[in-house]
Amino acid sequence: MKKTPKMKFSRKDLLDIESLSSDEIRLILDTAKPFKDLFTRSVKKVPPLKGKTVLLLFYEPSTRTRTSFEIAAKRLSADVANFAVSTSSVVKGESILDTIATLQSMNVDFIVVRHSVSGVPNLIARQTSASVINAGDGFHAHPTQALLDASTLDEIFDDLRAKKILIVGDILHSRVARSTSRCLHYLGMKTAVFGAGTLIPSSVPPHLTVFDQFDEAMRWKPDVIYLLRLQLERQKANFFPSMREYHSVFGITRERFRQISDEGIYIMHPGPVNRGVELIDEVMDYDRCLINRQVENGIAVRMSVLYLLHLAVDEKTPAVAQAS
Amino acid sequence: MGRVLFQRGWVVTEDARAPELRDVLVENGRIAGVDPHIEVDAATPVIDCNEKFLVPGLFDMHVHLREPGREDKETLETGTEAAVNGGITGILAMPNTEPAIDTGGMVRFVLNLARERSRIPVYTAGCVSRGRAGRELAEIGDMVEKGAVMITDDGDPVSDARLLRRAMEYSRNFKLLIGSHAEVRELSEGGVVNEGAVSYKLGLPGIPSASEEIAIDRDLRIAQWTRARIHIHHVSASGSIEIIRRFKQQGLPVSCEVTPHHLIFCDKDIVDYNTNLKMNPPLRRDEDRARLLEGLKEGVIDCIATDHAPHTTYEKNEDYCSAPFGIIGLETALLSLYTHLIKTERLSWGRLASAFSSNPRKLLGLDPVSIRRGNRADFLVFDPQKKTRVDRAFLKSKSCNTPFLGKDLDGSVELVTVSGQIVLDRTKDGRNRVTCSSK
Repeated sequence: MKKTPKMKFSRKDLLDIESLSSDEIRLILDTAKPFKDLFTRSVKKVPPLKGKTVLLLFYEPSTRTRTSFEIAAKRLSADVANFAVSTSSVVKGESILDTIATLQSMNVDFIVVRHSVSGVPNLIARQTSASVINAGDGFHAHPTQALLDASTLDEIFDDLRAKKILIVGDILHSRVARSTSRCLHYLGMKTAVFGAGTLIPSSVPPHLTVFDQFDEAMRWKPDVIYLLRLQLERQKANFFPSMREYHSVFGITRERFRQISDEGIYIMHPGPVNRGVELIDEVMDYDRCLINRQVENGIAVRMSVLYLLHLAVDEKTPAVAQAS
Repeated sequence: MGRVLFQRGWVVTEDARAPELRDVLVENGRIAGVDPHIEVDAATPVIDCNEKFLVPGLFDMHVHLREPGREDKETLETGTEAAVNGGITGILAMPNTEPAIDTGGMVRFVLNLARERSRIPVYTAGCVSRGRAGRELAEIGDMVEKGAVMITDDGDPVSDARLLRRAMEYSRNFKLLIGSHAEVRELSEGGVVNEGAVSYKLGLPGIPSASEEIAIDRDLRIAQWTRARIHIHHVSASGSIEIIRRFKQQGLPVSCEVTPHHLIFCDKDIVDYNTNLKMNPPLRRDEDRARLLEGLKEGVIDCIATDHAPHTTYEKNEDYCSAPFGIIGLETALLSLYTHLIKTERLSWGRLASAFSSNPRKLLGLDPVSIRRGNRADFLVFDPQKKTRVDRAFLKSKSCNTPFLGKDLDGSVELVTVSGQIVLDRTKDGRNRVTCSSK
């Protein structure tokens, strides 16, 4: 069923999931597999990006995603530079375009960007000849997270079509929910969300079923439950009254965990986990908890994305030179 | 200029169903005759309008001139020149300058500046509250005495219902129009696009329609019981139309305006985070846009006003959340309405003339400029065959934050007269490159 489509990847940037075709998604997942096989070897490095520079431009603090991109780039033999922007310098007065002009002059080949405002990677991509990879922007998109989630489920299930995933938590403020649900929808999965009414967008796309109660969502018989990280400061803005209540109404409690393990439902989470909020401790040791596998696949998928963008851009450059 | 004959133009009137081919004689700044054929002696200059449209001078009752305070964005001079460039022969300036126009002295400052720098009549609104802070009443009487024709805290709602009540009661003594920027801040705060499918898709914080609808309903209820004359600025949501219609049916003296951009664009048009489509109120759904056009045709919406809001390019180049709200509109209003609505016969010239020329003047107690014998000769010659490229060379505004930048719009404002004086003649204006259509 999972045959590799005969197609080429011809993009400069990876900004979101929405603009990808399911064939392109499939190509990224398939390209990730041989990279993942490398990880079991003692030498995990391959040469395709030798001499290329990958710049990590993180306007928002991140450890996992940044490290994952750094390892991915290094395993492809690229040089990696960090352009650490503290959150304080994002405040008015510092222009993103000025920063990009600086980076453009440094002739980097890839810019991996994370920003707290949606659309900033698009803004940057328009202004630079480097390939821009969105590592998360505002509530908009986190395409490599979606791809690593898809790659993880692709390993678990023989056929993703008609499999069901329930995404639980803060959908409103989540780029992960937006990108992952769309990606899995493109691959044929059924997608649903459940969470506090305050954290569910007033308008969701037709591919997302919204459940108001946990029991109702469980009767839908999901194959996978995807828990989102709760930003604890949301409590201050009255999105929910207390952590304790949040856990008992919207979290994976002991009782719910029993039902989940009885039914053999897989658990996913983009990390980092708030133990005792989204889930109880025991879930982390559950044999169908895929969290660590997601992290591992993250590196392979990001290698795949860097590699495919590199091929796409490299192929175009000589063609342009010939034409002129 | 004593006497000029404008020959063979399609004269647009707010009552006629379709424009009629007429000669228009201008004498001493006034219209001396409108007839199918007017004979003049050889000494009278004749301007051959060659079946172009003669449109009554437009009046924009919602303009941010930015002077004083942000002269880097616009000045009274560049703003009024931009108006002329778009066929607008009268404007109402909003008082949210820095400092705000909240005293008689500030009103006098603006009007004196206009006397020196503007070639078209400039009117100004004054603030409802001191410093637009929404806490204490501004000296409304003094501002009226110095010439203010409306009070409004535009840019911000008067959130305190008790202050609004006082302002409405007090404005009654001066028969003054009170403008309402209708928004429940607690519901809209932080939002940058309409809340709905598009805010989900773009991952941007939303502004729900209810924020506007609730505020309009509240303001109209207060106006009803205080017997105030109220004008709702820039209506954007379909629900607002229904609320305003209901109060109009009950006899409340309420009026409202819609901007060209809310008639032409909807939130789905925001692609690639284009900040030149970011304004407050935000572009709503396609259904809202359709409903606004119906409301305009039915007369629930009285006026078209641009909400001309100049901002610098560097500010608009910020990310979508940091970039300021607002776009310029004086120079593209008529062209874009012609291109998108009149040419496609979704809006008539007559309705445009009433909503964009006679109604705003009527609301503010100003003389009409319909192309009729005896009226002041304020009108423009519009060539529907030409195209106008909206670029830096065309724009007279200091700012160029418009979604039409770099695009061609149908039609061209060829000539503008104010009190019989020709203030714009495109054929003689070397700076403006006006490309002809290919046919």
